[in-house]
Amino acid sequence: MAKRPPIENCIRELREKHGQMSQAALGEAIGVTRQTVIAMEQGRYSPSLESAFRISRVFGVGVEDVFSWTEPDHPDS
Amino acid sequence: MPFREKTAWVMTLILTGAGIYYFQKVASLSGALGETAPPVMAFLIGYVVLVVLTSIVGNIALAMMSPGEAEAPADEREKMILDKAGHWSGYVMAVGVISALLNYAVFQDGHMLFHAAFGSLMASQIAEYLIQIVLYRRGV
Repeated sequence: MAKRPPIENCIRELREKHGQMSQAALGEAIGVTRQTVIAMEQGRYSPSLESAFRISRVFGVGVEDVFSWTEPDHPDS
Repeated sequence: MPFREKTAWVMTLILTGAGIYYFQKVASLSGALGETAPPVMAFLIGYVVLVVLTSIVGNIALAMMSPGEAEAPADEREKMILDKAGHWSGYVMAVGVISALLNYAVFQDGHMLFHAAFGSLMASQIAEYLIQIVLYRRGV
């Protein structure tokens, strides 16, 4: 398998909290396809900084409330 | 499945089929001649017509099944996939062309050089679409 990026996100949970927002609706809001949103949720793709900010703005939270660094060798500092 | 992945599958099948068609013709003629067949325009035109027509039909059929996706521009992840696939397929072509040149340097067979270079072009195109499929499925 391809190496997963060391970044986790809670996009799925945030979508569910925001009125069961669909993956397609989120994708449209930030300018990516539904499949790209799916890839982000499954951890197969880390979005660009711009898209990360767009996602956090859609949900009205900070970027670090959506994304977190997970690699054990490089803990948050 | 993303629209561009479907396109990549269709193009992989078309290019592989057309490549088999072309090299079967060349192998058959070479067998009859007892040496590497020269480039034959009829085979080349047949290959190009086969690829162009089947690509048009295949892509129109895909676009009719999902018109919204077909019109949408590539997003950031898709652009990354297309860029990486194009980058790696370049190596496939380079290896093929270098092999063709080495073969010519050793055997002085210009006909083989032509077919090997043409085959490298085909292989790099097929590799580009295959790499796109892998990246779509496994992640960028």
